[in-house]
Amino acid sequence: MIRRVSLLALVGTVAALAVVASAVARPAHVASAQAASALSCKSGVSIGMLAPITGDAASIGGDQLHWAEFYFNQWNKVKGHVKIHLVQGDTQLDPSKASTVAQSFASNGKIVGVIGPAGSDEVQAVAPILRKAGLAFASGSATRVSLTNGAWKGYFFRDVPNDGVQGPTAANYMFTNLGVKSGTSVMVVDDQESYSTGLADIVGQNLTGKGVHVDRESISQKDTDFSSLVAKVTSATKVVYLPFQLASQAQLFAQQLQAQGKTAVAFGSDGTFDSSKFTVNGSYISFFAPDVTTLPADAKVVASFHKAFPGATSPFGAPNYVLAQMYSNAVTTACKDGKITRAELRKDFAKVSLKSSILGTPIRFTANGDLAAAKFHIFKIVNGKYQTVQ
Amino acid sequence: MNWNLFVTELVSGITHGSVYSLIALGYSMVYGILKLLNFAHGDIYMVGAYIGLGIVTVLGGPFALTVNVALLLFLMFLCSMLGGGLLGVMIERFAYRRLRNAPRIAPLITALGVSFFLENAAQLVLGAQQQSYNSFSWTNTPIALSHFTLPSGAVVSYASVIVVVGAVVLMVALTLFVQRTQTGKAMRATSFDREAAAMMGIDVDRVIVVTFFIGSALAGAAGVFNCISYQQVFPTMGFQAGLFAFTAAVVGGIGNLPGSVLGGLLIGLAEAFSIGYISSTFEQAIVFAILIAVMLVRPSGILGRAAVQKV
Amino acid sequence: MDGGDREIPNVPARPDEAQVPKVGVDSWVATHEGRVHRNRLVAELERVPRPAFYLAFGVAAALLPALTSNDYIIRVGFDTLLYMLLALGLNIVVGYAGLLDLGYVAFYGFGAYGYAMLASPKFGIHWDTLAIIPVVVVATALLGFIVALPSRRLVGDYLAIITLFFGQLFVTVYQNGNRISILGQTRGYDMTGGPNGIPGVDNWNLGGLKIASLQGYFYAALIVFLLCLGVVYLVDQSRTGRAWKSLREDPLAAELMGMPVNRLKLVAFAFGAAIAGLTGTLFAALNTAVFSADFDVPTLIIVYAMLILGGAGSLGGVILGAIVVNVSLEVLRTPGHATWIFYVVVLGTLIARLRPWRWLAIVLGGTIGLGFVAHAIAAAAWPRGTHGSASIGGWAGSFLDHWQLHPANPNFIGNIAFVILVFVILGVTLLRGWVRHLALIPTLYLASFAWENRLVIEPSVTRLILIGVILIVLMNARPQGLLGTSRVEIV
Repeated sequence: MIRRVSLLALVGTVAALAVVASAVARPAHVASAQAASALSCKSGVSIGMLAPITGDAASIGGDQLHWAEFYFNQWNKVKGHVKIHLVQGDTQLDPSKASTVAQSFASNGKIVGVIGPAGSDEVQAVAPILRKAGLAFASGSATRVSLTNGAWKGYFFRDVPNDGVQGPTAANYMFTNLGVKSGTSVMVVDDQESYSTGLADIVGQNLTGKGVHVDRESISQKDTDFSSLVAKVTSATKVVYLPFQLASQAQLFAQQLQAQGKTAVAFGSDGTFDSSKFTVNGSYISFFAPDVTTLPADAKVVASFHKAFPGATSPFGAPNYVLAQMYSNAVTTACKDGKITRAELRKDFAKVSLKSSILGTPIRFTANGDLAAAKFHIFKIVNGKYQTVQ
Repeated sequence: MNWNLFVTELVSGITHGSVYSLIALGYSMVYGILKLLNFAHGDIYMVGAYIGLGIVTVLGGPFALTVNVALLLFLMFLCSMLGGGLLGVMIERFAYRRLRNAPRIAPLITALGVSFFLENAAQLVLGAQQQSYNSFSWTNTPIALSHFTLPSGAVVSYASVIVVVGAVVLMVALTLFVQRTQTGKAMRATSFDREAAAMMGIDVDRVIVVTFFIGSALAGAAGVFNCISYQQVFPTMGFQAGLFAFTAAVVGGIGNLPGSVLGGLLIGLAEAFSIGYISSTFEQAIVFAILIAVMLVRPSGILGRAAVQKV
Repeated sequence: MDGGDREIPNVPARPDEAQVPKVGVDSWVATHEGRVHRNRLVAELERVPRPAFYLAFGVAAALLPALTSNDYIIRVGFDTLLYMLLALGLNIVVGYAGLLDLGYVAFYGFGAYGYAMLASPKFGIHWDTLAIIPVVVVATALLGFIVALPSRRLVGDYLAIITLFFGQLFVTVYQNGNRISILGQTRGYDMTGGPNGIPGVDNWNLGGLKIASLQGYFYAALIVFLLCLGVVYLVDQSRTGRAWKSLREDPLAAELMGMPVNRLKLVAFAFGAAIAGLTGTLFAALNTAVFSADFDVPTLIIVYAMLILGGAGSLGGVILGAIVVNVSLEVLRTPGHATWIFYVVVLGTLIARLRPWRWLAIVLGGTIGLGFVAHAIAAAAWPRGTHGSASIGGWAGSFLDHWQLHPANPNFIGNIAFVILVFVILGVTLLRGWVRHLALIPTLYLASFAWENRLVIEPSVTRLILIGVILIVLMNARPQGLLGTSRVEIV
């Protein structure tokens, strides 16, 4: 009897909830108090960071986090600078977790800007949330072309060039300099993630259009053995294109190519640009800046980075140092009147222009948030070192 | 018939399969005695690989080795097997012992907890970056890069030979141990019926500790084997390997040692041949489809005996 | 009878209960808890019908959006509700029927992708949600049925492995589903969007009622959860529920008693899969995009952890486990919160478990004293040892500043301290008596040192370490889960 009554009460509550929900679920629901009221700069501001700090992409995300932390630590030591506190958010390269963390940033009144997220899928997932909250978000590694088609103008920025620049550059170089002609063949291997398949598609289509036979293969980011795939490389294959996110996989692939005596040359994309990991002689890589760890102007910075964060680094790390630098400049500009709002920071951030950066090039944004004057260089590995060839 | 491709895939499959078999043996042994799926086993493999890397670094690093390569290999195996074994014993003592009589799902979740802990502690202390054994650079005797060519034109590297020969040696040693020694007999008895074995005077606790030690030592050795051939060490490498090894153990007939070896080889070969002949994109899907088919045909695994249910 | 299923018999305890050795491992031991003399409050609480608790939970959850305007909290609540739904479905398969299903999240993904395919620009179909939900639920149930078909020939872990294969198959196929090509053709068919997933998924549109705000989705998830909870509760009380439980306890005996064992397994799988599919539609709608990486083993592990931690077979456990695990994961992201929780939990455990009181005083006093002494020595002899600052502010932070060492470059020494700490803690569990109490003093100080200098600096990694430790400790302390009942398994 009591059970029946409580069951009825349960059903009744559900019905009542349904009524309430239908009232609440109207889209015209007033947004909660997220409209940023001006924050005082005196006690410092917070910048959020979205990165895959744990999980399969931890080697990339942890590195991005450390470079940004490193910059802000140096910045905060100088007297007179507005103190900037970095709030980290672990997305595990998963768009649904990224949107939960982005929501926490949006609801955190102290956060005035966001660095990240790292993956292009994540950018699409968090963009509506961050846009609604009025936050600028700048990625150091999301390279899908469609992200800067204007939908999030003024909100989304990136200081790395997109695939639309890298793909054709790589394909053209292969065609003109590496003996890839109509009738020869190229193997394109992707790692089943969207960064990789995007680039692989662009390069593959470009080469197919020129009459080259393209052999599309895949590996997984968790693989460590490619000897089975390398066995499929024929003597007619001139180049094996490896748009991998992990430089260590490119190294392994190239090593196994050489071990099996194949004549094909390995060609990596910007994810594989890591002179501590990818060092097989004779390979090529495309990247949008010179190697940070070899530029003499950066030697001091790199040395103190390694002192603070021992261990190797990845190519997607240094762009986040630059983003931290740009945010610091923008915060200084916005804090001139002692107060800062998210809208103000957005506008100032879009206007930041660095004459020089550790990436070796000046940095500024186009109207749509892309990196201005982006250009890809081609490097060849000679004696374990990266030499610019284009 | 392209013999070159065939033989290369065969060699690759056997090498990879040997590594899976070693890890699967550890799984099988522990399951046979405790009916426990030790999900932390893959992380012991990872720790073994890191221990090997530590030995290389301590002895001068891959470019300036201070000892003979043969001695280096011996030390790497010794330390990783000892380290792995001790880690396995510690995990059993502190995480699993109290759950011997609990429903089986409880130690499963504990194993997951241990796995979380090990992977993330390794990331915290050792960094998330991939590190490389660089066995290409070991002086005096080139390892991974050096190869010999078979008549078919296929290239086999010395590293593969070391892996396969080493795995065979370890498996033979294990079989001899289990079949010929007193402790081995005790292990077989305990896996058959734990209570009866205890009643016969067998120290079940000691047998379980020995089982964990041996199984984890094999996993540690597998870690070094893998990295000699394939170079990369990173904190989450145990997850994938553990998954495949678990699969190999069950497909071969869980609790059955030759079955685990067979299962591991089957998976390694299936992987290699589906990449080579069918499609590298769907290679995982094809392997799993093959395995499903095998399980449907032989429900207790390839060499498993149908369990007799006592009423 | 009203009240719970169990009656606590009035059997008085034997006077020498504590000294009597447990007789083997069997049903007498398993029903030990039923004979334990409980205090009145707990006994009374157990007589309250379960639906009252679920009702209370429903009301409390419903008040959440009214009490806070922080969208993040509501989003965490929504995620927790989704996990609760998943754990509920898994509870039927694992907790009721006793089948180990390692491919469960594939059904979740199937439901999410199904919704995405029927309500997005991908194929240009935009059905009404009221039409999609039955289709998706039935399709997922059918899929669960098919996956369970091998269970007739397979037992225990062999069934687990087939479900694992199926789960991995699902992820691989959907991850590469944008280039499915029949052998020989060069053009692939794009069915699932591949690694780019299916973006632009429509919001829930229940015949004109559009759900577009976070609060709306929260209520939708809550209503769906309460409905499913009600249905599962009713099924639990029915013949099928009892049949499942008998299947779980001893499949052979169940079959001998005339239970249609195969049919029960199939129905359990299908039911669990259906709930997962329904949850998938909510997931897809809120996230407006689906990617196959969301439906892989890590998610499965979290759902299992929630279910077992809460207690498999217990509906209340499903709710509690999901809340505990998900909220912990979220709260531990912030270093400040994590530090407070760390110290509170450590102190709380000490206060709860360390008896008699004088030992508590000695341990706490000793630790504090040791800290100040160490700090004074370090300040004099090794100035760089005290340069850094504590992880939290306020009075607690200044206490930590003066009590704990904070070296300027904490990385290396923090790592060493952490590794030593692990071994020291394991060692302390082996000690007994006053030696253990004394050993606690340096252990606590070392733990605080490792926390301040290494663990709290990487909160994203530390929270996973802590979750691992929580799982180990809780499962060892209470293997049946927080709200589960202890069972004996016949292997």
